[in-house]
Amino acid sequence: MQRTPHAHFSDQTHHVAERPLLLEFEHVTKFYGAVIGINNVTCHVGPGITGLLGANGAGKSTLIKLASGQLRPTQGRVTIGGHDAWSTAAKHHLGYSPDINSFYEEMTGREFVYAMARLHGYSRAEARERTEHVLDEVGMADRAQRRLAGCSHGMRQRIKLAQALVHDPWLLLLDEPLTGIDPGGRREINELLFRLAGQGKTILVSSHILVEIEQLCSSIVMMSRGRLIAAGTLAEVRQMMQHRPQVIEIVAEPSRRVAALLAEHEDVLAVEMRDPGLVIKTRNPLDFFARVGELVCEQGIEVRRIQILDAGADAVFDYLQQGK
Amino acid sequence: MKLVRAWSTLASLSFVRLFWSTSTLMVMLPLAGCLLFVLRRHYNHPEFTQREFREFSEFLIVVFASFVVPICALAFGTASIGGDREDRTLVFLLVRPIPRWLILLAKFSATLPLVLGLVLGSYWTYCRLAGAVGQVAFDIYLPAITYMTLAYVCLFHLFAVSFRHATIIALVYAIFMETLIGNLPGIVKRVAVNYYGRSLLYAAGEADGARMPENFQPLSFDVATWALAGIAVGGLILACVVFSRREYRDLT
Repeated sequence: MQRTPHAHFSDQTHHVAERPLLLEFEHVTKFYGAVIGINNVTCHVGPGITGLLGANGAGKSTLIKLASGQLRPTQGRVTIGGHDAWSTAAKHHLGYSPDINSFYEEMTGREFVYAMARLHGYSRAEARERTEHVLDEVGMADRAQRRLAGCSHGMRQRIKLAQALVHDPWLLLLDEPLTGIDPGGRREINELLFRLAGQGKTILVSSHILVEIEQLCSSIVMMSRGRLIAAGTLAEVRQMMQHRPQVIEIVAEPSRRVAALLAEHEDVLAVEMRDPGLVIKTRNPLDFFARVGELVCEQGIEVRRIQILDAGADAVFDYLQQGK
Repeated sequence: MKLVRAWSTLASLSFVRLFWSTSTLMVMLPLAGCLLFVLRRHYNHPEFTQREFREFSEFLIVVFASFVVPICALAFGTASIGGDREDRTLVFLLVRPIPRWLILLAKFSATLPLVLGLVLGSYWTYCRLAGAVGQVAFDIYLPAITYMTLAYVCLFHLFAVSFRHATIIALVYAIFMETLIGNLPGIVKRVAVNYYGRSLLYAAGEADGARMPENFQPLSFDVATWALAGIAVGGLILACVVFSRREYRDLT
């Protein structure tokens, strides 16, 4: 699947963005009374699709609400293209698809998107034109005449996406945009998002389905207990944790000898024989791969397959969450 | 220009949504009840009499102005923003490039004509049905009814932006504060809007035979007018300030 241009962030320890920044969180803390929602988050989100990951209560919703100007930070600053996210000026650049299933139920999908376009100040003709264009983009042009009260969850998701896109914003905040959409529909929405990212838009997608984020996003932001625990591409996040234990499957012959040789390596924590090969847990993957290379050259070991078993977003997230 | 278009779209959208809402049905009940009452009492004598005027004034002041007007105002005043808030559709408005205080003013601009239309339309109908006393009453009580409606609509907008379940709180306020405290002796009744409204109504109708309760102690017409204007303007400004600054955490 095609990946979109790179989105970038920086935490206190993370790297600096390469592109003009649009959505910025600077030392943002948000309290709900005595409860902390977000704790000193600094992160810059640039063009491309960025996934926002975190368990329930991690602070994802607070981050999205701060970015969409529904909340104001207790400390720090949230800006969209240099404008305070709370301000009206920032709203010109913002398209927001919330994680709610509420609409003006008496309207048709087309009427709703048209009304939202009009709320951006477009003339009737322009609003109508934009509405038709965006309904076509989200695959609802032929179904938008149905009243929202009678629309399926997937259709409502598409209408939410359409109202967020109708004014062609630079920044899209999508809260669980693929929930309730069938696989074919997901593919279409993903393609649309890739297209939009290709146009240089900044898209922040919140989701709890990690595989979805992995397929869709060029970068990720991970939250846990109100803190930003990692930001960057999935590979970069993995790189940040290179000294954390990693599980690697290796299919090599003769497997018993390979197991014995690898077990001698000081960074190997465990070796398990599992058909058709070995499953090895190492605390230093880079050194481990170097050692495998040496074995191939020096011992004549034949390696048929080598693969990291826990490099997916799920595993990365679990690791990071345990670490914080 | 874009902002003006966006604002007027929001105002007209809000008007249509309010008009076709359950609030309209809700206010029809007391308005229809008043209509039946007026028809039942047969006020439609061709000649003006002070006794009949006093009775019609009592109906207008005690029932219509003190109970029906606040019910109409709260039904639409709290629903204008409160309905969007309870349906959680307010988020779709808050992320549009319209300053929050203008969103509130658009909602207010949609609500006020609707409430004024219903209140004054039904008031005109009752007065027409009441014959000679109705014609006299319509002219002299019209300003007071209008000021009261305006003050209530502004006040209930303040309720709507301040409380989550504004309709319930406004209903409790209308029944207990307005009815109960508004009729208490002493200065405590000054917290009730209808005290100022009734001061205006009694001051306007006294010369034609309207009789106020013994312990009422009304304010002068001018003071009561200024008080209602102050409640209206102050309530609306405060509502704009609260709405501009407030975080609505329950929307998504």
